[in-house]
Amino acid sequence: MNLDFLAVAPTVVLTAAVVALLLVEVQWSLGHRWWALCAVAGLGGATIAAGVQWALRRGDAGGTFFGDMIAVDGFSAFAGVVLFPLAGLGLMAAWPLARSQGRRGAEFVTLVLVASTGAHLMAASANLVMLFISLEIFSISLYVLAGFTRRRVGADEAALKYFLMGALASALFVYGVALVFAATGTTSIHGIGRYLETTLILRPSILLIGIGLVLVGFGFKVSAVPFHAWAPDVYQGAPGGITGFLASTAKVAGFAALARVLTTAFEVRVDDWAMPVAVVGAASVVIGTLLALAQPDIKRMLAYSSVSHAGFILTALVAGGGGVEAMWFYVATYAVTVVAAFGIVAVVTGPEQGRASLTEFAGLVDRSPLLAGGLALALLSMGGIPLTAGFVGKVGVFRAAIDAGFLWLVVIGVVAAVAALFFYLRVIVLMYMQPAADDGPAGPIAVPAGARFVVVASAVVTVLLGVVPWPLLNWLRDALPI
Amino acid sequence: MTDFPILTSLIVLPVLTALAVMLIPRRRSELVLPVAVSGSLATLGAVGWVLVGFEVGEGGFQFVERVAWYAPWGVGWHLGVDGISLVLVALTALLFPVSLAASGSITHRVRGYAASMLLLEAAIIGVFLSLDLLVFFVFWEAMLVPMYFIIGVWGGERRVHAAIKFFLYTALGSALMFAGLIALALVGGEGGPTFDFVELLGADLTRTAQTWLFLAFGVSFAVKIPVFPLHTWLPDAHVEAPTAGSVILAGVLLKLGAYGLVRFNLTLFPEAAVSLMAPMAALAVIGIVYGGIVAIVQSDVKRLVAYSSVSHLGFVLLGIVALTGPGLQGGVLQMVNHGLTTGALFLLVGMIYERRHTREIADFGGLASVMPIYAAAFLFTAFASIGLPGLNGFVGELFVLVGAFLTLPAYAVIGASGVVLAAVYLLWAYQRMFTGELRVEEDRRLGDLRIGERLILAPLLVLMLVLGLYPKPVLDRIEPSVGVVLERIERVTDHRVPEFGRVEAGP
Repeated sequence: MNLDFLAVAPTVVLTAAVVALLLVEVQWSLGHRWWALCAVAGLGGATIAAGVQWALRRGDAGGTFFGDMIAVDGFSAFAGVVLFPLAGLGLMAAWPLARSQGRRGAEFVTLVLVASTGAHLMAASANLVMLFISLEIFSISLYVLAGFTRRRVGADEAALKYFLMGALASALFVYGVALVFAATGTTSIHGIGRYLETTLILRPSILLIGIGLVLVGFGFKVSAVPFHAWAPDVYQGAPGGITGFLASTAKVAGFAALARVLTTAFEVRVDDWAMPVAVVGAASVVIGTLLALAQPDIKRMLAYSSVSHAGFILTALVAGGGGVEAMWFYVATYAVTVVAAFGIVAVVTGPEQGRASLTEFAGLVDRSPLLAGGLALALLSMGGIPLTAGFVGKVGVFRAAIDAGFLWLVVIGVVAAVAALFFYLRVIVLMYMQPAADDGPAGPIAVPAGARFVVVASAVVTVLLGVVPWPLLNWLRDALPI
Repeated sequence: MTDFPILTSLIVLPVLTALAVMLIPRRRSELVLPVAVSGSLATLGAVGWVLVGFEVGEGGFQFVERVAWYAPWGVGWHLGVDGISLVLVALTALLFPVSLAASGSITHRVRGYAASMLLLEAAIIGVFLSLDLLVFFVFWEAMLVPMYFIIGVWGGERRVHAAIKFFLYTALGSALMFAGLIALALVGGEGGPTFDFVELLGADLTRTAQTWLFLAFGVSFAVKIPVFPLHTWLPDAHVEAPTAGSVILAGVLLKLGAYGLVRFNLTLFPEAAVSLMAPMAALAVIGIVYGGIVAIVQSDVKRLVAYSSVSHLGFVLLGIVALTGPGLQGGVLQMVNHGLTTGALFLLVGMIYERRHTREIADFGGLASVMPIYAAAFLFTAFASIGLPGLNGFVGELFVLVGAFLTLPAYAVIGASGVVLAAVYLLWAYQRMFTGELRVEEDRRLGDLRIGERLILAPLLVLMLVLGLYPKPVLDRIEPSVGVVLERIERVTDHRVPEFGRVEAGP
């Protein structure tokens, strides 16, 4: 068995932080400053470890370790470099929520750290069984986080829905893995790829059903149509503080795992799965956009918009390996704007609250220019307006799809992208062009320091990557799965 | 020529000024407009430098700046100016300080307003100068955001409706262009995609591909121009925008569509351009006549000016699609003329609105007796807009009609009626508002134009006269670049550009 400590370094660092956090809290209950210290040490250390992986193992230097279970390559390292800071941002935005839970706040922080571990392992798994385990580590933490405010029924409902749908998705995924194993005799992601390359399968129906079920499982995780129905309820019901973390990391980890499986294990069968993926992508873009148009609640609106973004990212993946760079750029920049958007929503409507009616955002610019500006920028980036990162993401995604011959998908995509502007603009109109409602809350909003940092950081990243995306695009050429 | 990146600085200067404006503390907001005006004047100065350094008689791109940006996508920072973009950049740089100076009535969030205007200026200049299609598209879309805020935050009563309509129409138009230009970059590049305009000139496109791409780009430009029946966003946006916004919308933004048509559609897809000449000319003529007739019946003078733009831009389009030397020159010249005259008309309407808070023609009467200078300026501008000989509109319209007559005689004849219609709607409006008895009591106390207002209008009026009497300097710069466009069309298609003054004998 080939062992490499570097391969599990991020996981080990985070696990150590989790253990330390729990011990410190149980033994001395030193309070939230120590939680923060543990979280910073854990996520910071994991980011550094992922950075070292990137420096040493990207490109051709990657490999798989621990009996072909964990891959260390540019792909997994980049996933770590994105996911751990993202979790940090999510935690900062969620800090008021964690503190409001008394001593249980330590559990909250613990769960966020465990979820980040699982998310990163999803991107780094080199074996479908390992992938399933990391998926569960990640998902179960998220189910608990979604229902963390125990007393509020809405959150319980959200958590239960999330759990039931997630469990169904996991079951389908495992069944798919079993069928793929039946067809190819291995669960190693590379092994499957090698087998399919060298062997002609005369009756591929078992393999194809297996691939289909794996896709369905991922479809649930990334909330693509027709497996998206849980997303709006969960986003709306979950406490405002944590929704950003939940939405962003689930997308990044889900798409990372999906991309590795599709482009490494099933690359040979690209002609079989490209068309279904394209159809799911087109359906997600169209239905997500149409339903978002009608939402009176900003969290539901962002949930449906996340469905349409899942469709855009699938648009990149129809190009197989050629779309991975585009997928990375899109999902990473989208995740950053989502954390900021939900963070702002949580500040405006309260960290424990689930619902966030659009009317509460009327005249926001007079109550807090920072929040209004940050939300406007995040929404413009999601809408794909130039000079924001979202535009570059869309260019990359569409380029990959046209290159792969899916012009019709791109035409649907651009038209939907314009329709989507309608609901993004509606929020901006409310914030900038209409006065606050008479009976609603008024007066300036105090923005917690954590949320302030999240808003500014996200805005800087969004504009910077919108104006000079080229360095990141260059690096991403190394962020391919081996 | 020095190596100083003068064209980049034309884009950077307004952006820097916008940042400077945002840094002015809130309690010193009286400084905002002067800073913004001086920043845009500095840009005008830089444009002046380009005008002086521009080599007349050269048809190609000058002051070219070219840096490869991201090779795998074939994106580069590629700027250049030719005769066509030169005059339009000059128009833009002139109208911005004028309209910023005329924004004294904006008191609410002045900093945001001035910054939006300056960012808009940077984006518009970027559109005219970009020779990389992706960078062009970035500027093209980026333009929408500040304009959307200018209409939506500082506009009139129905501003939100108008702002959203403007945004969605334009965004929907450019959506297809976006798909089209990515497809073009992938099809047209040799050894990897390229967005570079000059490299794409060498692309070998099939006739079908050209037609589809022509339509994808054309719809986007047609919304901007606006071509009938895609014009319905225009009256709302023009009427609800604040005065400066209307000036920029009519004066510059509409020209971007026509510019795009000349720069990209005629040059990159010549075969499609030749085969689609007649339908485009038909739309142009419908625009001329329809815009004119609708303008006649408007009761709101701002709406009247807005519809007159539809009619005038029909002339521009007719000149362009005629694919003749005089037609294209006239089209480009008419873009400048329309920018000056309609800009001035919107300024004049804004000035009377500030005094009376109404724009209904029926609310005025006999203004000439209390505001003689204002009336004279209005009449002068109206004459220029109608195309009275000796003023700028005449030269442009003459070129357009002559050019159109060479290849599309029937359309030219119908289009000529637009001149008559312009006389009807503008002079009738003048008659109702300015002549006769003073009917309304409030009108008696109206003051005539203040010094500041006169200074704002003066450069526009002077240019109308100068371009009417001696348009040669402008035409000299436009002509070689137009020649390049036509030469290319003759080289790759069977369209032959008839020469003016030499009627070809039949077989």
